[in-house]
Amino acid sequence: MFGILRKKLSKAIESISEKFKKKEEVSKKVETKKEEIEKIIEKIEEKKPEEIVEEIKPIQEIPEAKKEVEKIIEEAKPEIERAKLKERKGLLKKITEKIVKKIKEKKLSEEEIEPILKELETGLIESDVAFVVAEKIKNDLKNSLVGKEIKRGREREAAIEALRQSLLDILSVPKIDLEEIIKKKKSENRPAVFIFFGINGVGKSLNLSKVAKLLKDKGYRPIMAAGDTFRAAGSTQLEEYGEMIKVPVISHQKGGDSCAVIFDAIKAAEARGYDVVLADSSGRMHTKKDLLDELAKIVRVNKPDLKILVLDSLSGGDVLLQYEFFNKAIGTDAVLFAKVDINEKGGNILSICYSFKVPIIFLGTGQKPEDLVEYDPKKFVEKLIGS
Amino acid sequence: MFDNLGKSLSNLIRRIVTGTAIDKKSVEEILKDLKIILLQSDVDTKLAEELVSKIRKKCLEEKIPAGLTLREHVLKVIYEELVKLLGEKPSTLIGKKKIMLVGLFGTAKTTTCAKLARYFQKQGLKPALICADYHRPAATTQLLQLSQQINAPVHIGKDPYSAVKDGLERFKSYDVVIIDTAGRNALDTALANEMKRLAEIAKPDEVLLTIPADIGKVAGPQANEFNKLVGITGVIVTKMDGTAKGGGALSSCSVTGAKVKFIGTGEKIEDLEVYDPERFVSRLLGLGDLRTLLEKAKEAEIKPEMAEKIVEGRFTLQDFYDQIEALGKMGPLQSIASMVPGFGMMKLPEDVMEKQEEKLKHFKFILQSMTREEKENPDIISASRIKRIARGSGRPEHEVRELLNQYEKMRKILKSFGRTGLERGGLKQLIKQFGFKL
Repeated sequence: MFGILRKKLSKAIESISEKFKKKEEVSKKVETKKEEIEKIIEKIEEKKPEEIVEEIKPIQEIPEAKKEVEKIIEEAKPEIERAKLKERKGLLKKITEKIVKKIKEKKLSEEEIEPILKELETGLIESDVAFVVAEKIKNDLKNSLVGKEIKRGREREAAIEALRQSLLDILSVPKIDLEEIIKKKKSENRPAVFIFFGINGVGKSLNLSKVAKLLKDKGYRPIMAAGDTFRAAGSTQLEEYGEMIKVPVISHQKGGDSCAVIFDAIKAAEARGYDVVLADSSGRMHTKKDLLDELAKIVRVNKPDLKILVLDSLSGGDVLLQYEFFNKAIGTDAVLFAKVDINEKGGNILSICYSFKVPIIFLGTGQKPEDLVEYDPKKFVEKLIGS
Repeated sequence: MFDNLGKSLSNLIRRIVTGTAIDKKSVEEILKDLKIILLQSDVDTKLAEELVSKIRKKCLEEKIPAGLTLREHVLKVIYEELVKLLGEKPSTLIGKKKIMLVGLFGTAKTTTCAKLARYFQKQGLKPALICADYHRPAATTQLLQLSQQINAPVHIGKDPYSAVKDGLERFKSYDVVIIDTAGRNALDTALANEMKRLAEIAKPDEVLLTIPADIGKVAGPQANEFNKLVGITGVIVTKMDGTAKGGGALSSCSVTGAKVKFIGTGEKIEDLEVYDPERFVSRLLGLGDLRTLLEKAKEAEIKPEMAEKIVEGRFTLQDFYDQIEALGKMGPLQSIASMVPGFGMMKLPEDVMEKQEEKLKHFKFILQSMTREEKENPDIISASRIKRIARGSGRPEHEVRELLNQYEKMRKILKSFGRTGLERGGLKQLIKQFGFKL
């Protein structure tokens, strides 16, 4: 699960902490040669700027530091050349200080971290994370790592912490408590009604039965409504699931009115004392207006307590459009992500959370009725970056 | 912010078309944006990078063909590379065949099996179906119900292996046998082995992979795995009627080397189309402009024999009708106009264009109500004939007269062009005529 996304994230963590460690090493090496370097620079007043770097022998052994020195001297070159001989001493002293300070620096600069973040960004996009979200993660890491003093031996933790904060920020969404809704409706002597919808083939029926089993195992009495009256064997499929998990299913003939099936199921629940109705619906493309209108009618007539959009975690950037279209047509209270078990990337979960801040209720993790886990942002983040 | 994905490329193209000056620097910027757009459309990262670098090379290093500006050259290269990537039109699946459909969960395999069977029926062939999915509840019932809709026999057994074996024996006399397999994760060993064994038993001529248009970047690795296991010979992109661009599907083609054969465009059993790469490009990128661009690149839209006819004054109403038809195929007038130098970027109120389109449609009705003789020899159209044509087409008489006037004017103008003028810039002039002088 999320293998590829996890790899990309851990690679970024390693690269960042490596970078920090390297900096630390360089600054330690420079520290030991600081006096030596200062002495040399004092003596080279007469030299031309380009010769200075050559003169500072100790620096040659530390390639990273050498690069920095070259850069500083290059920048100061015009100033050095302009300066009169007697001013030179003071100027060089200033430059020396600057050099020593710079190469002793343990903090990461923006340019140093940029290549790592760029690679991470590409990796995220490769894992179906939307562009804006990848950008956000990149900026978060930059803000929390650039110019920060990191204690020795804590480099890795610092990188992980920064990433964890960013991911938590993205993945935290409002919570919905199904049981509370059921209890509240029960106190009004009415069944709670949850309706599941989404495009074709995302796994509505299967995941609906999984939710039914979960609620049943928790001691509730669910009943399912075979609202998919369009697709061939749509209701038969739900009936078979119903047998598997021992939950009753209300269904009509194929081609019947989906709205009426759900209505009947609610009536049956009221009459027979079931406390939650889980209503299936036909898969429909979010671009078909008349199909969406039909869905809107189902909602209008049956007044569900929750409208749950089922999304396929294998989908790419299109999930965002699917969400927008469905949300516009009937409103979406919660999202269930299906087929998470076979997903090595799964970036679209990040995209949905970040873009819409909609509650995610469950993740579907397999073909069996018990393959369902509750969504918990903290656990999810640990899954992604945990060691 | 996201519903603009499709529009974004369209905007990018517009930027190329309308931008003040196109130089190397702006080409670089355009290519950077192109890559982002491709990635956002679920195109595989490596694929997007390769494509962009190929386009860069062609745009900046190759000599610009004579007669084209850098601007036009860039547009042409982008379009051509995209079409090339998507391959030619596939060879149609005709003849005695065993076809096996494979794919991930919920990719519309079963429905597509029935659609395929329907497609073969329309070709005059006798298809039969075998259900090899005994994992998903009601999969057999679903295939059975679908087969009843199209009156094709379906074999259902107890397990996938015996079902395929017995089914193939039973349907020996049928032209096409389509095997529906269970949805699977190609990386799951047990399911992968089952599929491999099925393929060994069935020895299919074609193994088609169903890929939903909205699939993300898992498409590549999964397709690769399927290909390694059973050897994919073609791809069917399903759920093309949503908002998805099919970029993921594109990646799976590039990974497996298999070409798209069909696209599923709706929930009804008839909704299966033979793949057309040009339309797919427009779809992937969400714009019609590129389509018209191709037309423009060809430019010599008027064929030599037509030019001859025109020069000799033999431009008939039938030709006039064909021109209107050709225009209609090129897309909305607005986008055609925007591609034509001269009007280039004139911003016309949208309803002007819409009205013109309405008018062209009415002209078509009128022309359809004429006899062949009238179209070949418009001079014979008398007042009483006008009356009849008006009644037949449901348009007022004055509109029929207007059409005849237009045709007469057009014939004169065309005649004055001379042959070479027509071959070079005829289309533009025609558009001017249609779009703005009617």
